[in-house]
Amino acid sequence: MFVIIVQLLNFCFYLIPEFFISGLYSVLFYVVSDILIVMLQEMEDFSWPWQYQFPPFFTIQPNSDTRKKQLEAWCALVLSYLKQKKSHSVDVTEIQNSPLFNNKEINRKLPPDGVYAVFEELQKKGHLEWKDQKTRKQCLIMWRTPEEWGKMIYDWITSKSMTNTVCTLYELSNGDDSEGQEFHGLEKWLLLRALQTLEQQGKAEIINFDGNEGVKFF
Amino acid sequence: MHRRGHGIGAIKNKNLAQARYKDKGTLLAEDQFAQMAKQMETFRGHLEEFAAKHKDDIKKDPQFRIIEVCLATSHRNGGLIGLEELRDRLVASRGKRSQDISLDDVFCAIKKLKVLGNGFTVIPVGKTYLVQSVPGELSMDHTTVLQQAQEKGYVTKTDLLTKLKWEEERAVRTMNFMVKEGLAWIDDQAKERQYWFPSFFPYNTFAA
Repeated sequence: MFVIIVQLLNFCFYLIPEFFISGLYSVLFYVVSDILIVMLQEMEDFSWPWQYQFPPFFTIQPNSDTRKKQLEAWCALVLSYLKQKKSHSVDVTEIQNSPLFNNKEINRKLPPDGVYAVFEELQKKGHLEWKDQKTRKQCLIMWRTPEEWGKMIYDWITSKSMTNTVCTLYELSNGDDSEGQEFHGLEKWLLLRALQTLEQQGKAEIINFDGNEGVKFF
Repeated sequence: MHRRGHGIGAIKNKNLAQARYKDKGTLLAEDQFAQMAKQMETFRGHLEEFAAKHKDDIKKDPQFRIIEVCLATSHRNGGLIGLEELRDRLVASRGKRSQDISLDDVFCAIKKLKVLGNGFTVIPVGKTYLVQSVPGELSMDHTTVLQQAQEKGYVTKTDLLTKLKWEEERAVRTMNFMVKEGLAWIDDQAKERQYWFPSFFPYNTFAA
């Protein structure tokens, strides 16, 4: 809706020269409105599953089969939400109040014990790690597990016939070669985890050369 | 027929002869089992052949399609699907080249399923119907609750006490059953606990 209004205003400015009071103002307006459109589209683009509009989804169900389905749906939703934001670091209080767990439209919010139930499920599946195991206020949510990242990187290395070569971590994640790959720009801590899983499989070795952190693929 | 007779005859003769020399019980059982296993294999082969040959026909069969849709959606609605939703999903899955399917068409197909004893039941609710595709009896009380829930998609205990004039115990028992069967979800963030039925919840896409 907002997008349409902004676009209409743009159109008016273009059509009616009287509004062109100052070239600078109109250019500024275009720039600002373009930024707004991109921002709004980014939010609109996230497609919520049907459960998100279903009020009972925000109450942890007593029936164990139903609860299982519910928690699975929540896990999938959390992962896809964070994947879209390309974010891994989660503050529990902050995310409880975000649209993810808080649907203002239907006035339903998943209570803290519900959020923790979902996070426990994610932890069991290897997608979540607490930064502070005792207080459980901060966590890392890997919408792709280190194993999955590792496999993706190794498959790419093999496809490029880059086994038995060495490269720095930075080259791997930020080099021109890996541009367009999903792991391009991967945060270093996660890249290291991914490479560690490959190490365990004997497919790589993390090394240090000339003060650079690097990796050798086999 | 002739072949089967030949088989039985062969068993009989063999048994008569060997029974004199070995344990009769074991030999009899072994032979019969071997024969049965062979026949099962042959039958299975024929069945597989039939299924492969008529795969397309089977897939086009309306009863088969209805069962498919009900199975595919039962994880969401517990085995209760609205008639319109069922029809819409059938139309969507058949693609552009298919003819339109009317509600009557769906009705007829379900009736045929009932003849086969497949456990499909049609429950009238308000102006429309629900199709139940999971085994288990829904009593009159359960059906009444569904009819009550059709308006808003949910019921509360108060609804049952006031609109249906039920006693507390009856209302609690009925709703507990529906929650236990996975037909209803509970919502505790309203003034009073609400029992929601996914079958009545508007569906937007056919992806879920």
